[in-house]
Amino acid sequence: MVKALDNVSFSIEKGEFVLIVGSSGSGKSTLLNMIGLLDRPTNGKVFIDGIDTSNLSDNQISTFRNKKLGFIFQFSNLLTDLTVLENVLLPREIAGTTESAEKNARELLKAVGLENQINKRANKISGGQAQRAAIARGLINHPSIVLADEPTGNLDSVTSKIIVDLMKSMAKELNQTFIIVTHDQQHFGDADRVITIKDGKASEGNQPSELEVLV
Amino acid sequence: MEYRLRLAKRMLFNKKGSLIGAVLAVTIGILVIHVNFVIFQGLFDAIVRDISNYRNGNVLITDEEDYIDKSDQALVSWFERIPYVEAATPRLSSSASINMTKFGTLHEETRIPIVGVDPFRDIQASTVHETVTDGQYVFAKNSIVLGSNVARDIGGAEVGDSLKLKIVDRYGQDQIRRFVVTGIAQSPGGQGFDYSVVVHIDTLRDMMNRNGESGSIMVKLNDPTKADDVKNFFLSAFPNDDFIAETIEESAEEQLAGFRSGIAMINMIGYFGMMSSAFAIVTIQMMLVNGKTREIGVMRSIGATRKDILVIFIFQGMIIGAIGAGVGTAAGLGYTFYAKETKMSFNNSLPLEVSYNWEKIIQTAVMSFMLAIIASLYPSYRATKLLPVEAMRTV
Repeated sequence: MVKALDNVSFSIEKGEFVLIVGSSGSGKSTLLNMIGLLDRPTNGKVFIDGIDTSNLSDNQISTFRNKKLGFIFQFSNLLTDLTVLENVLLPREIAGTTESAEKNARELLKAVGLENQINKRANKISGGQAQRAAIARGLINHPSIVLADEPTGNLDSVTSKIIVDLMKSMAKELNQTFIIVTHDQQHFGDADRVITIKDGKASEGNQPSELEVLV
Repeated sequence: MEYRLRLAKRMLFNKKGSLIGAVLAVTIGILVIHVNFVIFQGLFDAIVRDISNYRNGNVLITDEEDYIDKSDQALVSWFERIPYVEAATPRLSSSASINMTKFGTLHEETRIPIVGVDPFRDIQASTVHETVTDGQYVFAKNSIVLGSNVARDIGGAEVGDSLKLKIVDRYGQDQIRRFVVTGIAQSPGGQGFDYSVVVHIDTLRDMMNRNGESGSIMVKLNDPTKADDVKNFFLSAFPNDDFIAETIEESAEEQLAGFRSGIAMINMIGYFGMMSSAFAIVTIQMMLVNGKTREIGVMRSIGATRKDILVIFIFQGMIIGAIGAGVGTAAGLGYTFYAKETKMSFNNSLPLEVSYNWEKIIQTAVMSFMLAIIASLYPSYRATKLLPVEAMRTV
C-alpha cells in the first residue's frame, strides 16, 4: 500500500501564514485535504480549534468546513452557472446567514478589485480574476483558517504576484491563518513558517511538530 | 430566491439539451395519455352519443312482456311534464323481408330490422332524421326510409321507388304492404339505421296487429346527468306496471362493456409510456449529475451538506416535472381542441365525441410532475454519495 502521508505531525498557531511546499506527488495536497476535512486519514487525527475532527459526523464536517474553513483552489473552481457575486455569496447562503451578505460580498469583491465584474458569469472572466473571486469566496464567512492549494499554479507571474500580495494583505488585515500549498516557494517570499513534504514525510527545520491547528 | 433552487435552475437551463430532452420525455408521456383519451374515450363517448341519439335516448322504457300496452300518448305526456325531459317518443321494432323490382330484376332481402317511429315526436327525441342524406324522413303512413346498405342490397333503391315489405304478425300471418321510398339514411359508425328500414309506427302496429302498443319509449333529457332521477321517478310513478327503465349506461351496457375494458387497457399502455419517460428522466439526470461532479465537489468543500446536494437535484426534477407537465398539458389540450373543433374522425367513421375531462387532465399533469420528482430521487441520491475530494479530482 502506498502511503501518501507518513508520520506527519505539526501544529499551526492562529494568524500564521504557513507554506506547505514539496515537489509534485509529495503528498502536500493530500495533507491540505486532510486539514480541510475533505479527506480523512486512515490513521491519526486532525485537531482544529482543539476539536478532534475524526469524531465529527458528515453534517458537522460540512458545517465546520462552511464556518471555519475557507478554500482557494488551483483552478479557482467557481461555479460557472453562477455570477461572480453569486459565487462569493454561496458559502453565506449555505450557512443560512444572508443578512448583510451581499454588502459583505461586494466589499470583498471591491477589495480584490472585481467590483466591476460582479454580475458577469464566472466563466466569462479571466483566470486571474476568477482566482481573486475565489479568494473573496474563501473569505466571505470570515473563516479561521484559509486553505489554498496551488493558488498561483495556473497563473502567469504578474497575476501570481497580485494574488500572493492579496492573500498576504488579507491575512494581515483579518488576522486569519493561511495554509498554502505550493511547489514554488519563491512566489510567496516570506512566510511565518514553511513545512516541507517529501515522500509523504513533513519536516520543518529540525522542529518536530503535531498536526494541530490552533485558532 | 432560495440558492438551491437558483442553482438547480441555472444548472438545468445551462444544459439546454438535457433540459429539452427531459421535458420532452415528460411531455410525450402526457401527450400519449391525452391522445389516447381523445381517441378512445372520444370513440366510446361517440358510440354512447349515437346509441343515445338514435336508439335508446337517455332513458329507455321497455316492458318485461316485450310490448308496452299503455298508451304511448299518455306516457309521453307524463314524461314531458318533467322539467329535465326534452322529449319522448314511442318506438316499435320487428324484422321484415323486403323486395323490389328494378330494371326488370327482382331484388329481395330478408330479416331486415324494421323500426316504427312517430314522425312528429321522433324528430324531437332522436337525431335519426338527420341521418337522412337523400330525400326526407318518414312523413306518411306509406313512406319508408331505407338504410343506405339496405338500399344498396335491394338493387340500388332510390327516393321515389316503390317496394314491398313483408312481416309476420302476432298471429303468424304474413302481412305485406307496399311503400314508397322517401329517404335514404346513412350515418358513420354503425350505430345508425344503415342496415334497417324506418316506417310510420302506426303502419307497423297495424301490420303486426299490435294496435296501441309500443316496443319502447325513448326519452331524451336536456340534462343527461338527471337520467337516474328520471328513471327512479318513473318507476315509482308506475309501481304496478312491468316497466323496465334503464339509463343509457344500463341499456347499452352489453355494447359498451368490451369498449370499457379496451379503454382500460389503452390507459394502462399510456401509463406505461409515462413510466418510460420516468426512465428517460433518470438517464438524463444521471448525465447531469455526472456532468456536475466538480460543482458538487466544490459545493461540498465550501460547506454544502449531502441534503443540500439532494435538494438541488430534486429541485431539478421538480423543474423538469413542472415544465414537462405544463408543456405536455398544453400540447394535450391543443390536440383535444383540434380534435373537438374539427370533429375528428378516422376513415370517415363516426366523429369522436371529444370532451375536456378536467379531472383527468389535472390528474395526469400531477402524476407526471410527481413521477419526474420520483425519477430524480436516484440521481439525486447518487450525487450525495460523491466524496468532495473525489469530485474535486475530476478537475
